[in-house]
Amino acid sequence: MAQYYPGTTQVAQNRRNFTDPTYKLEKLREISDEGVVKILGHRAPGEEYKSVHPPLDEIDEPDDHIREIVEPIDGAKAGDRVRYIQFVDSMYFAPAQPYLRSRSYLNRYRGVDAGTLSGRQIIEARERDLERISKELIETEYFDPARTGIRGKSVHGHSLRLDENGVMFDMLRRQVFNKETGKIEMVKDQIGKELDEPVILGEPLDEKTLKSKTTIYRIDGEAYKDDKDAVEILHKIHATRSEGGFCPE
Amino acid sequence: MDLQVFPHRILGSDRTEMLLNEIEALDGVKRTVIQGPRLPPEDPNENPKYGERRVITVNGKEIDLKIKTGRIFIDISNDFNIVEVKDSIHEICKELLPFGFDIDIGKFIRTQKTVTDSIKYGNKSIPDELIGMTDQSAKLKDRVTIFKKD
Repeated sequence: MAQYYPGTTQVAQNRRNFTDPTYKLEKLREISDEGVVKILGHRAPGEEYKSVHPPLDEIDEPDDHIREIVEPIDGAKAGDRVRYIQFVDSMYFAPAQPYLRSRSYLNRYRGVDAGTLSGRQIIEARERDLERISKELIETEYFDPARTGIRGKSVHGHSLRLDENGVMFDMLRRQVFNKETGKIEMVKDQIGKELDEPVILGEPLDEKTLKSKTTIYRIDGEAYKDDKDAVEILHKIHATRSEGGFCPE
Repeated sequence: MDLQVFPHRILGSDRTEMLLNEIEALDGVKRTVIQGPRLPPEDPNENPKYGERRVITVNGKEIDLKIKTGRIFIDISNDFNIVEVKDSIHEICKELLPFGFDIDIGKFIRTQKTVTDSIKYGNKSIPDELIGMTDQSAKLKDRVTIFKKD
């Protein structure tokens, strides 16, 4: 059996859940396909996919064993462009965080490129595959409308204090709290271009649910040092790494 | 001495208004400074259901709120026991800030004129109450509201 992450706490279990491709992620909200396309901002809804090369069927590809073994993803077959979606996860009990996103993306999806930074995480894929993946990422446990931001640029805010309604700071104010409905609405696309109609992302999860779903160790939630098992494995890795790297002349 | 209230979340205009009204009604509170990230500029096209910018009423006086409250500095008169005032502010905050807060006693509002103040106001003497009430880049009248206490 694959071993994804050590630890006995709920945080460790959540990390294992995300990373394990056989675990079925809970669907928490419904976003239309059109909504996802609008959020991404790479093409207008209903517009044809632009391509960078002819479909693979029409190209005479050289004989190659790897090409025979690996089935190309839909976007690659059609010759789509490579596009991206980028998420920012607040340090205040966001469901996912950048390193975990990368680990889990690479376990769950084929034909993607994931880039990790301290506060944000980008995933690149062929356009139609990206739309399918984005829909899954926004609709499931990966996402909380208030603590996770969809930000192609101007990402600052993951470590700042939250607003009183629990929304993470965003200098471009893409995801805003609607005081009348209590729901978060996306009024701009991921790079900050105004949308004609807001995309409704739903109500933010409450603090208790977030704490049970988070993958972030925090002293005011579940502290890393309290997860004996995870700390032990970390120590073991540290020791073996140091010994393995030690080279007396 | 001063008190600093540090809420664990950034406050919106409604909560700021309630909190300031409660604090200003206390005996011993001389001056209050709120500090935090600036609210986005006024936009006539903005949908009011998303906006935070509005005029708040504190002690019957209207204040055009320009920021979201991240910190509150309160100058306490020397005639009052600061620990007692702190306790009553603690009670107010416990009710109005359910997500948590910290209160510290210290010196948070500066008391001496700085070089920048001298450049800005010249050699004119500024009343002690106005020193430290605003940052150097802002105009005093935009940022300071004076209440007449009886």
